[in-house]
Amino acid sequence: MALLELRDVHSAYGNVEALKGISLHVEEGEIVTLLGANGAGKSTTLRSISGLTGVTSGDILLDGEPLTRVPAERIVRLGVAHVPEGRRIFPGLTVRENIMIGASGRGRVSRRQLDAEVDEMYGIFPDLKRLSGALGWSLSGGQQQMLAVARGLMSRPRLLLLDEPSLGLAPIIVQQLFATIKSIRERGTTVLLVEQNANMALSVADRGYVLVTGRLTVEGTPSELLDNEEVRAAYLGGGKQAA
Amino acid sequence: MNKTYAVDAAPLNGQAAPHAARRRPVLRVAFFVALGLLVAVLPLVLPLSSYVLNILMQAATYAVAVLGMTVVLGYAGQINLAQATFFGLGAYAVGLGTVVAGMNFWLALAVGIGLAAAAGCVLGMTTLRLGGHYLAMITISFQQIFDLVMVNWAEVTQGPDGVAGIERPSLFGWQLTDDRAYLLMCLAVLYAGIFFVWWLPQTRTGRAMRAVRENELAASVTGVNTLRTKVIAFTLSSALAGLGGALYAAGFAYISPDNFNFARSIEFLTMTLLGGSQSAFGGVLGTGLLILLPEWLRFLKDIYLAVYGLAVILIMVFMPAGIWGLLRAPFERRRKPAPVDLDAIAPLDFGVRAANPEPILRLEAVQKHFGGVKAVDGISLEVARGTVHALIGPNGSGKTTTLNVLSGIYRATGGRVLFNGNDITQHAPHERAGMGIGRTFQNIRLFPAMSVLENVMVGAQRPNNPISGHREALRERALSALKFVGMADRAEFLVKNLPYGHQRLVEIARALAGHPEFLLLDEPAAGLNQTEKKELGELLKRLRGHGLTIFLIEHDIALIEQVSDRITVLNFGKKIAEGAPAEALRHPDVIAAYLGEPAHGAA
Repeated sequence: MALLELRDVHSAYGNVEALKGISLHVEEGEIVTLLGANGAGKSTTLRSISGLTGVTSGDILLDGEPLTRVPAERIVRLGVAHVPEGRRIFPGLTVRENIMIGASGRGRVSRRQLDAEVDEMYGIFPDLKRLSGALGWSLSGGQQQMLAVARGLMSRPRLLLLDEPSLGLAPIIVQQLFATIKSIRERGTTVLLVEQNANMALSVADRGYVLVTGRLTVEGTPSELLDNEEVRAAYLGGGKQAA
Repeated sequence: MNKTYAVDAAPLNGQAAPHAARRRPVLRVAFFVALGLLVAVLPLVLPLSSYVLNILMQAATYAVAVLGMTVVLGYAGQINLAQATFFGLGAYAVGLGTVVAGMNFWLALAVGIGLAAAAGCVLGMTTLRLGGHYLAMITISFQQIFDLVMVNWAEVTQGPDGVAGIERPSLFGWQLTDDRAYLLMCLAVLYAGIFFVWWLPQTRTGRAMRAVRENELAASVTGVNTLRTKVIAFTLSSALAGLGGALYAAGFAYISPDNFNFARSIEFLTMTLLGGSQSAFGGVLGTGLLILLPEWLRFLKDIYLAVYGLAVILIMVFMPAGIWGLLRAPFERRRKPAPVDLDAIAPLDFGVRAANPEPILRLEAVQKHFGGVKAVDGISLEVARGTVHALIGPNGSGKTTTLNVLSGIYRATGGRVLFNGNDITQHAPHERAGMGIGRTFQNIRLFPAMSVLENVMVGAQRPNNPISGHREALRERALSALKFVGMADRAEFLVKNLPYGHQRLVEIARALAGHPEFLLLDEPAAGLNQTEKKELGELLKRLRGHGLTIFLIEHDIALIEQVSDRITVLNFGKKIAEGAPAEALRHPDVIAAYLGEPAHGAA
């Protein structure tokens, strides 16, 4: 059974339909990426899964259990973590507190364990270690992005939903981040990744889907998608440039 | 306002923007005029008791003060907990003026309005730099001071006994002493007020107010003098309160400090929120309801106040947009954004001044420290006119801080910023916008609850923009800018309903609408896919082709290589490299600190 399955999911904002029947599946241990233009519905798909946006029809199943009527905070406890686009960190808490809040849905975790995991995050994002005691608002945009990703990882999710994690990060940090995404999978976390940097996303993904105005059009392995002329023209900037 | 993180959380309702309808349907206007006349005529023909007429008079005069709240709270987003004070100033001007000083009513009314407006203006100028809870505290204090003065300065104000025997005026020989006649006059004033407040959002000033409400920082760099705009809103609001108070005094013949205390201010606030703070009709509706509801509930006897309180709480909880918002929702949902005739839009004119060999911008040892943190630590650089100059560096290296010092959001701790040879180090953001500096933000700062077109019109109305300030000219300019970035077909959409990447383009259009000479872009490619990034690169090149100078922060190396003429690299607030792309991107320090190992081969 797939870890996550979407069956003909529809979703709308007001009278505008954002998702027009999405069906996809993510197997345990996979990294799957969603590609698509702005406004295609990628973020809405993630928001529907994590319960932040309602679904008008269709089913979302986690381990075969329906998620569609489950409130967002319960979905987190079921092991789904969502790192939304746009860096919603807690501006009045310190970097360390922001990271630790990510673990709040996991029940009792020993202090020592928590400290060890925060240190692990500092290993991935060394900048954050230096800023450990700084308040969230004082971070630069890119540092806030790192913090949001670290907070998401702290929930030790079975399924991690990442919405544009590389947004605003320096190239060197993006490389570290994608290496981290690979290592997260080795730790047993399944990843559903939305990313504008399609070359980068496809370099770590097992499979990818292409979304066009609320519908899935193409599905395949990274090499299949990279060879697809339409995909290339629409999302990879045309030409045969290397990643 | 620290609402940065809440912007995206605004509830999504209809598609079309509430203020987007330019050509208001004649039918709808006719409907409201007819309704208004009906309401005005009813008391004349119905056999209403004097008690009911008094209630209506109270509602009409309160509603005028609530219209003021619509302006200051609904449009400009500034909290005001002293509206009863301004209402009281108007009332006391008429009370003391006519009874004690023997003034003509109309003269006293004008004095009352002037007094209230002046008090609002002074209070605004001194306190509106603060915002949110500070402003709330100060207006509450002002209200308390007014209370104390009115009660204790008995020689002048007649103290807690109040002023009695205030007479109703005559107008062109008509005696307005009769309840019906006086009510009719109050209604006429109220209608004029409604019309004014209904018309205001579509004006330059009204648009500026809403921009301040939606995002004060963005409004200031777009060229809105935010303090002035807020003071205007506060002054208008207090003038309307003064007018309402003056009418109230003569309507009820007797006033005392109890009528104008803090509880009354809260009542005005509740009426505004209950009806819907962003519409003139909402405020009036809320006033009517809050005055009539207790009357209707009187049969409940002992518990009527509790039921009344409960009803207010329930309405607030379940109708966050107020009753008017709820009434409008079905229409908003059904309204389709008006189609825009793309072919009719004129191409964007840039009108950049003739070439000049002087650098457009020069930074001389600029520093910006936050306490002990040296975010920018002595950066000097020059930006050549007509070029694309990129600023890159690791996260937290001071790039955005530098941009904020350039656009005036931060004042430099040390050093000088020269724009076209003028020292602008101490200039406010809106003054810099007025000199032709436009910018966009890393986290996108648009005015979410305004339409795409209105967002860009705010950009077009910047001071010194070389176009006529007329509404049609602003609209055309905004449409041209939207067409240039390819967003003209979305002109009538609410900006918050656009996807992230499209919002970025709207933000660029907003800056372009102001004829900038110098454009600051903070990560314009963030959130765009690779194809869209290429298109953005083409757009930037087109802008340079029109003579604009672009200074951009970006992490996308492919884009930087595609567009930039020169690159400056920062690390820890200092410049570590500068030069042509190939040169700067091969610098070993830049590779170590920023690019990382996998060679991003330049060419």
